[in-house]
Amino acid sequence: MSGDKMEVELAEQKLKTMEHSEQHYFKSYDHHGIHEEMLKDEVRTRSYMNAIVQNKHIFKDKVVLDVGCGTGILSMFAAKSGAKHVIGVDMSTIIFKAREIVKVNGLSDKITLIQGKMEEIELPFPQVDIIISEWMGYFLLYESMLDTVLYARDKYLVKDGLIFPDKATIFFAGIEDGDYKEEKIGFWDNVYGFDYSPLKATALSEPLVDTVDLKAVVTDPVPVLTLDLYTCTTADLAFNTPFTLTAKRDDFIHALVSWFDIDFTACHKPIRFSTGPHTKYTHWKQTVFYIEDVLTVQNGEEVQCKLDVKPNDKNRRDLDIEVDYSFQVNDATRNASGHSAYKMC
Amino acid sequence: MSARSESGSSSATSSVSDEGEWLDVENDEESITIVSLFDSQTFSSWNEMLDSCKKHHDFDFIATIKNLQLDFHGAVKLVNYIRSRVRDQQPVAKNLTLTDFEDDGYFKPVLENDALIVSLDEILDSDLVKADTTASQLNSSQGELLAQKQALEAELESVRTQFSNYRLAVQETLDRRWGDDTEQSPAKGAVRGDRGNYYFESYAYNEIHETMLKDTVRTDAYRDFIYNNKHIFKGKVVLDIGCGSGILSMFCAKAGAARVIAVDNSDIIKKATENIFNNGLSDIITCVKGAIEEVKLPVDEVDIIVSEWMGYCLLYEAMLPSVLYARDRYLKPDGLLVPSSGTIWMAPIQDTEYMSEHISYWRDVYGFDMKAMQEGIYDDVRVEAMPQNTLCGEPYPFKVLDLQTIKPEELSFTARWESKLLRRPDGLDGFLIWFDNFFATSRSEPVPEPTTTPEVFVKAKNGNVAFTTGPSGIVTHWKQGLLLVPPENPPSKLELPETISGQITFAALEENARALRIDVTCSSESKEGKKWSWKLE
Repeated sequence: MSGDKMEVELAEQKLKTMEHSEQHYFKSYDHHGIHEEMLKDEVRTRSYMNAIVQNKHIFKDKVVLDVGCGTGILSMFAAKSGAKHVIGVDMSTIIFKAREIVKVNGLSDKITLIQGKMEEIELPFPQVDIIISEWMGYFLLYESMLDTVLYARDKYLVKDGLIFPDKATIFFAGIEDGDYKEEKIGFWDNVYGFDYSPLKATALSEPLVDTVDLKAVVTDPVPVLTLDLYTCTTADLAFNTPFTLTAKRDDFIHALVSWFDIDFTACHKPIRFSTGPHTKYTHWKQTVFYIEDVLTVQNGEEVQCKLDVKPNDKNRRDLDIEVDYSFQVNDATRNASGHSAYKMC
Repeated sequence: MSARSESGSSSATSSVSDEGEWLDVENDEESITIVSLFDSQTFSSWNEMLDSCKKHHDFDFIATIKNLQLDFHGAVKLVNYIRSRVRDQQPVAKNLTLTDFEDDGYFKPVLENDALIVSLDEILDSDLVKADTTASQLNSSQGELLAQKQALEAELESVRTQFSNYRLAVQETLDRRWGDDTEQSPAKGAVRGDRGNYYFESYAYNEIHETMLKDTVRTDAYRDFIYNNKHIFKGKVVLDIGCGSGILSMFCAKAGAARVIAVDNSDIIKKATENIFNNGLSDIITCVKGAIEEVKLPVDEVDIIVSEWMGYCLLYEAMLPSVLYARDRYLKPDGLLVPSSGTIWMAPIQDTEYMSEHISYWRDVYGFDMKAMQEGIYDDVRVEAMPQNTLCGEPYPFKVLDLQTIKPEELSFTARWESKLLRRPDGLDGFLIWFDNFFATSRSEPVPEPTTTPEVFVKAKNGNVAFTTGPSGIVTHWKQGLLLVPPENPPSKLELPETISGQITFAALEENARALRIDVTCSSESKEGKKWSWKLE
């Protein structure tokens, strides 16, 4: 315990020397609240549990690396599934709690927990057979740990090693969201009788993380990015792509909504979960991007869009997102096109 | 979650505030450092600097002033013209003409606190320049020159204000405009969804202000007090401390205040300045960026101080000392504080559902024991909105803060509390803390008794406003402070009717003055005392 205490102090000291933005990222995970929220996200935790404990034949006698282990839940699933050894790595001081938890559950000899940055620490095994990680952030990529997972893959994963999960797909759709757009954006037009429009531009440039009702979805969903975790690189995290949204009824489009699906294809029976509006709530909710125009669309009509996503130059954990949209039909009064720039920070 | 703590934690970029610059220009000419017009070299007197410009850059500042017969105005523009050319790496012609720097934009200083501009009076007044100036000026008495200087400075200020308004106007025009500008009523009700408080403290720049503005209990109280008491505000000088997006300042301006000074240490003040301009209130409201203890206000005293300074458990974030500083420094003896007082309450609680959902939960997480996560649960104040039926004893008002008289050192205190049990709890889960705020219409009105509720206070006098953040009222963004105590083993059976009592201490944390430490002791007739301590940081 006293050794741990010294380590905690050292870790805290080290955190203090980091850039403020980085510090915030790591420290914000120390709070219980976020771990409670993540663990209580049943879709998330249960999917990982099923992917691991239903595949004991895959995990048996394997060396497993858990990237960003948090409270250690995934490491413990892996140990329970017969892994030879599990290494959990996390930068946050939550790992000292994880160590206590692992001990209380009698798994200390199966699980080694290391506090530090993946890029800076040394693992007790030169290679690992399986990488497990819950690295996803809002909009999949915001504050995500994917770059760390890819680093660990390239440095430690044996040839033909497995990654859980190994596939991620981002989707977009158009939504009718007049009331809420009014509440979030229109609010600034009249605040207790005052014009607050300077805050409106800011409000529009901030994607909104919230739950969207399935009934609000006006178009078919379109995948805009699929990441194969065995082959993708950090360069793939900046991407641009055109996509077309097709209206499936007569309605208005006030915003675009985005979500992601996660696949564990290495499982005996593939496991997938979605964070979309069509399925159960997750703590990732969905991400809403309000556009300037209101598009009046008829069933079957198409909106041409272009998406550009890249990490912010100054802070790689922030995302710069741009959307171009163009809606051209025979009825000129309904034509509209525009460009929106968003920042997740 | 209050705006003033947000300073800079979000994506806002820093830039110099106009107000700050202006205030600083008034510095006296004691020991000065003058930056050369043409490079970064500095001099301790203007003579040396101008000599150097002549020698090394072949530019005769005095001669230019004389040739163009520049007055103070003209000289200010000349300085800023040259400095802007040099900054932009543009050449400065030897034979400048008046048209080169006729643009009023050159009233805006290129250098902050430009000592050369401060010295211009002296330069224009010196023999070098005076030798050739007109007879009338030569004959002017010292007094006339001083008067002239003051008039010119006043004119300069007005030009600068106009310029900054103009700049804002341009910005506004360039801003993206919306299709529909139809009239809308402000949205009511709770914010949909609940973004993680932890992860995204820095997520949204607007979020905190949106949350506060949409906290209708809070914002309506200020609005109602200010708009229903226009006679109090009419013609008065008002100071708004921690103005945020500027809403309270604008209420005061609309209510007829002669002048409002809005002070905030956060970058949000830039948005406040724009909001105020867009609402045509720039001539009444002056925005000043900085800590109230450090900024120089354009007035020596004010009639009214308006501030939304309240934090979690009322005193978290310690903004009240700043209000008290301003009270002692700026408020007239008969001046009004808005709000005028606050009462802090506590009550014992028992909530089996909450405890099992958030505390016992950790004993079985997907089959694993995570009791390690419970650590700290009994050490930190949790900010939660709890239902009224959580209370298992009568609430007790343990502290009244009279803002007119309270001293900063009295914000750390120990008070007695007691509570008659309302039902028979099998063990106490902890305590709940909340506060009421009172807005009295005059300084002579007595501070409400501890037990006075907002409803009673509002009915007592026309114009009075009050609200509660307690579990009996509408949920506010302050919610309540939840202090959990570790379970007893075996649980103590409290008997009815029984009164439990003890002491409660509020103190600043040693390591972080903005944080709060709360200690509670508790004993009942049948049991000996217990003592706990929590932190809110």
